[in-house]
Amino acid sequence: MNLMAEILIQVIIAFLAGSLLLGLHRKIMARVQRRPGPPIIQHLLHSLKFFFKETGFPRTVSKVFYIGITFILALIWVVGVIAGPVAHDSLLILFGVYAVYKIVEHNAGSSSGSPYGKLSCVRAVLSAATELPLFAAIVFVYLVTGTMNIGEIITYQSVNGPLIFTIPLAAVMFFMLIITKSPYSPFAITKDKALISGFETEHYGLLRGFMHFSEAIAWYVMLWVFLTIFSGPLTAAGYLIGMILITFITAFINATTPILSPNHSVMTQITIGAICFFGTVIMIFTGVVA
Amino acid sequence: MISQKVISIILLVLSTIAILACLIIDFDAWIVYAVAIFAIPAWILSLGLLTMAKPKPEDVEGRLKEPFTGY
Repeated sequence: MNLMAEILIQVIIAFLAGSLLLGLHRKIMARVQRRPGPPIIQHLLHSLKFFFKETGFPRTVSKVFYIGITFILALIWVVGVIAGPVAHDSLLILFGVYAVYKIVEHNAGSSSGSPYGKLSCVRAVLSAATELPLFAAIVFVYLVTGTMNIGEIITYQSVNGPLIFTIPLAAVMFFMLIITKSPYSPFAITKDKALISGFETEHYGLLRGFMHFSEAIAWYVMLWVFLTIFSGPLTAAGYLIGMILITFITAFINATTPILSPNHSVMTQITIGAICFFGTVIMIFTGVVA
Repeated sequence: MISQKVISIILLVLSTIAILACLIIDFDAWIVYAVAIFAIPAWILSLGLLTMAKPKPEDVEGRLKEPFTGY
């Protein structure tokens, strides 16, 4: 198949699947909290609807920066789709995508001139604590498989079995990243309701729809990467079931857990990360991990 | 506002041509990746800037003066 056609198809799948999964996430959270909740298709409809809503650019914003940051957000997750589902390239590219994502959160907040956005921008720096366990998880995958290449990691697992059984604590560290980025997460300090919508507060109308588009792709890519590097070679049905299952688990956790204060959030993430890190190191040195 | 519309149309046309070119011609992979990374977000953003509803003339000033919609 033509490479551009493959990229376009994968981006569309990521957007549609990501939007529906985020809609499912809201629905499950609502049902856990004994509310009817919105239809599963709501997130997708919102994303499309915002493109036709009235949009203005307040005088307080840095206009090029304000619009440009939404462009960069979409750009990095298109890179995520290419490095992941399309090319099966290096995990380091995906780590870079996530690192830039934190910078985008930071700058989206600061570009608006709003106090809510700016406070969220400061918290985005704190929430970078999630990157440490993510990096550690990637290092452990490298130590076990001897490669950073996603295609080669899939091949390794087809011979040796899924990595989730070999290095389960590294999978927990990666899963913590997924919880952190899921909507209404206990670790979502950048979007604490005390900050309205955090760094997204002043991006409304078209720009909010554009950010929804990127976030749907981001959710799909993160789930895809987790399933691919820890659950071995999967079929399309396997990915679908895995993504629904992870969305269900994160929705259940988020529906029953209040958002933590920034210092508690960071300390919890670092503590879980440290336990999993040293646990995996012990497993490697005691020969539990071959 | 007019310059924004002109820039959006130019961006939309350029990104459409770039994507179509990559669909028709088999370029090297790195060229297709570069085009996809920049042209797909540019196409969506420029289309959105053209399709978004604009404030009514009597509301324009109020919208721009509104410091933060979050309030």
